[in-house]
Amino acid sequence: MATATDSKQTDSKQKENKQLEATVREAGNKNAARRVRVAGQIPAVVYGAGKESVSLSVDPRHVLKILYSETGHNTIFDLSVAGEHTKVMIVDWQFEPIKSKLLHIDLKRIAMDKKLTVTVPIVLKGEAEGVKLQGGLMEQVLREVEIKCLPADIPGHIDADVSQLVFGTVLRVSDLPKSDQIEYLTDADQTVAHIVTIKEEVVAAPEVEAAAAATTGEPEVMKKGKQETDGEPSGDKDKDKDKKEKKDKK
Amino acid sequence: MLMPKKVKYRKQQRGRMTGKAWRGSQLAFGEFGLKVLEPGWITDRQIEASRVAMTRFVKRGGKIWIRLFPDKPVTKKPAETRMGKGKGAPDHWVAVVRPGKILFEMEGVAVADAAEAMRLASHKLPLRTVFIKREGVH
Repeated sequence: MATATDSKQTDSKQKENKQLEATVREAGNKNAARRVRVAGQIPAVVYGAGKESVSLSVDPRHVLKILYSETGHNTIFDLSVAGEHTKVMIVDWQFEPIKSKLLHIDLKRIAMDKKLTVTVPIVLKGEAEGVKLQGGLMEQVLREVEIKCLPADIPGHIDADVSQLVFGTVLRVSDLPKSDQIEYLTDADQTVAHIVTIKEEVVAAPEVEAAAAATTGEPEVMKKGKQETDGEPSGDKDKDKDKKEKKDKK
Repeated sequence: MLMPKKVKYRKQQRGRMTGKAWRGSQLAFGEFGLKVLEPGWITDRQIEASRVAMTRFVKRGGKIWIRLFPDKPVTKKPAETRMGKGKGAPDHWVAVVRPGKILFEMEGVAVADAAEAMRLASHKLPLRTVFIKREGVH
């Protein structure tokens, strides 16, 4: 069975020395948000800690540096708004689908003494026996796991040792390294990784391929009206029967 | 070929392809993917040809996910038929894609092999595509 190694705890000081400058903007419609983007900034919002939400504009380059850092979106950093500093974390971010430009971020104020729920990436360590000796393929089903911990204890990633994984065995969330600071919220039975087998594509003869392509029938078309379920008496049927009986009597 | 098992109506109108693919535009299963950059229709045959090209290249190496399904029927009138007399018979199935949609995903192969497999697959498609890989954003 696969065993999991201790997760790397990143230095909290490293997380905290990052800073993001932001300016307050008026919360407006999407035209206003577009004007912010044209000016080279992106719209953002900060909320949490029982205070009111504030609309901001921030530099996307600084935000991307934080997102692509070792600690990723779980980085806790100082948000500087008009000289006021607050500890925040990026809780949501939106990318444009084609060019993957950053469009908007949500920031949440963090209280360092309260536990919070975050998602942390799972990194598979080692080469599985099922891949090395049995010729299988490692499939990582779960890439992130939800945990609850204090802000200072958020790990950069959770390492899972898969070197003992073979065919028929599954690495589950319950097999991930446990620690007193971290509480796993994801279902313990959920699969993290397993070894799968891949069937090789059999090269079919061109005649067979052509025949398969030619025989493409039409799918079944759903019938109009309500479909009656078996075993349940239908109200309409009973009514029809009553009518027939009445007619017969007459 | 891929096609729905059951449909509500046999024929559909052509529709519009405005906007971007806000859903299905991020890698969900694998480490590598093929993203489309233009709107268009991809037929069931093109999807199958791409799948075959990829699986034959990677052989037993990797796992492939197909993130699009041809659920739109396209009708065609027989050749040398006068106009009118109603809409033609269903001919084939297409998937409507908007720019940003991830078409295929792959895992379990080296970057170079995945890129080459995706390149071969992209040659079977009528639209511009780009090879993408999972970045450090967790």
